[in-house]
Amino acid sequence: MTTATATGPGRVATRLDLGRWTVPVAVAVALVAVYVLLIIGAGPQAQEQFINALTIGGVYALIALGYTMVYGIIELINFAHGDVFMVGSFVSWWLLTTLGFNGSIGDPVVLAAVLALAFLVAMVVMGIVGVVIERLAYRPLRNAPRLAPLITAIGVSFILQNIVFVTISNSIVTSPQVIPNPVLTLGPIQIRAINLFVIVLTVVLMAALHLFINRTRLGRAMRSTAIDREAAQIMGVDINQTIALTFFIGSALAGAAGVVQGLYFGVTKFDIGFQAGLKAFTAAVLGGIGNTTGAAIGGFIIGFIEVLSSVFGYGRWSEAAVFGALVLVLVFRPTGILGQQLGDRA
Amino acid sequence: MKASKVAVLATTAALALGACSSTPGSSAGASGGGGGGTAVKIGIELPMTGGEAPNGVPTANGVALALEKVQVPGFSVSIEQKDDAVNGKHDPNQGAQNMQALASDPQVLFVVGPYNSNVAQAEIPVSNAAGLMQCSPANTAVGLTKGDDGKSLRKTNPDKIAYVRVATTDDNQGAGTADIAANIAGAKTAYVLDDTQTYGVGLSDGFTSAYEKFGGKVLKRDGVPDSTTDFTSYVTNVKSSGAAVVMYGGVTTSGIGLFRKQMAQQGLANIPLVGGDGIVDGAAATASSYLNIAGTDGAPNSYGTVAAIHDIPNPDQFKNDYKAKFNTDPGSYSAPGYACTQIFLAALQAVGASAGGDLAKLREAVRAYVADKSHTYDTVLGKVGFDENGDTTQHTISYYKYDDSAKDWAFLKQRDFTADPVG
Repeated sequence: MTTATATGPGRVATRLDLGRWTVPVAVAVALVAVYVLLIIGAGPQAQEQFINALTIGGVYALIALGYTMVYGIIELINFAHGDVFMVGSFVSWWLLTTLGFNGSIGDPVVLAAVLALAFLVAMVVMGIVGVVIERLAYRPLRNAPRLAPLITAIGVSFILQNIVFVTISNSIVTSPQVIPNPVLTLGPIQIRAINLFVIVLTVVLMAALHLFINRTRLGRAMRSTAIDREAAQIMGVDINQTIALTFFIGSALAGAAGVVQGLYFGVTKFDIGFQAGLKAFTAAVLGGIGNTTGAAIGGFIIGFIEVLSSVFGYGRWSEAAVFGALVLVLVFRPTGILGQQLGDRA
Repeated sequence: MKASKVAVLATTAALALGACSSTPGSSAGASGGGGGGTAVKIGIELPMTGGEAPNGVPTANGVALALEKVQVPGFSVSIEQKDDAVNGKHDPNQGAQNMQALASDPQVLFVVGPYNSNVAQAEIPVSNAAGLMQCSPANTAVGLTKGDDGKSLRKTNPDKIAYVRVATTDDNQGAGTADIAANIAGAKTAYVLDDTQTYGVGLSDGFTSAYEKFGGKVLKRDGVPDSTTDFTSYVTNVKSSGAAVVMYGGVTTSGIGLFRKQMAQQGLANIPLVGGDGIVDGAAATASSYLNIAGTDGAPNSYGTVAAIHDIPNPDQFKNDYKAKFNTDPGSYSAPGYACTQIFLAALQAVGASAGGDLAKLREAVRAYVADKSHTYDTVLGKVGFDENGDTTQHTISYYKYDDSAKDWAFLKQRDFTADPVG
């Protein structure tokens, strides 16, 4: 499922034969190029725009990871995933308002405790929701034709939206922004606390996921299930448990993105999952669906495309630019930037 | 397996029930006419739910109030209420469907609505084909009535006006927002953002052309798709442009409240924001209104316009009547909703006897009466008439500013662009 397995078994779909340093070097070159563009477009605000892009890109990347993990393991495009993100934002909203917070928290100890609690609760709750969705809606259809679980996923998406629409609110809900809003100066970098928090958080979560998949027994079970489900089963991997685990992790990451939504934008709404899910899905395909590193890279690419369109005054074209980039990538690299990594039974 | 299917069914059933029981805010079929007489209907076609409730509900209340106050002998008028909000957001397709439904009900003689210009764009061809007169209390987009755009919407019956509006058009409203930006906020450089919808783009165009006449300069113009939640890079663009004011053409459901909130977070709350009637949609306490979403940090320094006269002839009487019935203050377009209804009732009174009980003839008679530009009406807004395109002859724009102590929009002044044109 990740580039670290690039020298793995031969039953892996087309991809670049990546040397150890190809990806980091390419990423560095791309970042420098983007920064130059931002300096041309935004002048003194280039750094600020760069941070804006990293932040929103991180949110897209967190959601995209869930898409790509689920696709990697059962080849299902889980259209309900964007709505898992949305429900996560409501869990965090509910928790913070129930605890009585409605503004920023000055005391760093309280703040850290509240944030830890919010992320823990939202991630665990959404992880469980993800597992329940898989158990009720997808597992019964695991051996059905590919179209059936796809339609079911769209149905689950509507169910989640409607539950929130009917029971909580049919309109914008204001979510407490507990992180204070000072501008921090770190050497030459000026960054608002919330942006720094979101960027660090996404990097930490992605690194943890990477280590989990590559360095643990359960991670190995996930990789082997992705490559060949039957063979993994013969070798003693509990397939149902592994797939449930994949849903748990993917949904927990979407839950974390939901908390970030509330903290960063201060609002949530029952239908934000559709747009965010579409962007994140695009990110996953852009990076190479099934490939976790690719999903993360795809998320940041979309963040940068959106910010660049707005910087150059073509904001009304930002969505066209995002999907245009997807089309371009797919024309020249049908398996995405880093290539798909999944079993070739499809 | 079985258990899971039952659970899914139960959830679905619960949702269906929930959906059925959630009826729109104030659709209570208030009937005027004091009983007896021919039963006829006035259609209301407004967005009533979700983020649109602050727009549609007070406007529909205006209609209900008018029916209670004014009776037409020989007729019993009841309300046929439609909602064009889908998932809490106005939807042109839903509007056109609602209009079809209203047109196919022979008892419906007149429709008040819609609220949003892009909904009107979808509805005008329907009402034009059906010969059913509709009166919008709030539409302001220029192209709905004037010029070739207006003509192309009236394709079926080019000579029959079946759409009038008591709100004046966005050339005037745009001039109003420019007047505020240049002369009240005193800002000569602007960053202009629209929500890429019919209304928002038109209003921003109106602003741009008038702002230059007031000596202002638009430094940058951009649009954001209406599903955007991340406005941070646009806010940074405002900073880069160095503009002294931000003008927004669009409606609250397109996300302007979020934009303003993010401006405040990036420390730009001291730059004033000017918008049209799309953002003057209720006090800070009103859920999902612009002021509510912008929050206590974002709301200050906000200006807005309404394409209707503020100093109506008998403001206290209207306000008290409204408050007595609905226990709240009227919204920006309550009085225009009331005025549309008054116009219908005046037409019904004038032509009611002529049709001899034939509802189809009566519908056409009402349409022809209202479309006749020689008629004027004494409404709650004062004297109102319509020109050859169906646009109101009243060209007054009202200016508002956020008032921090009242946590609401406060009236600044109004400008009549007939008596006091730009440049």
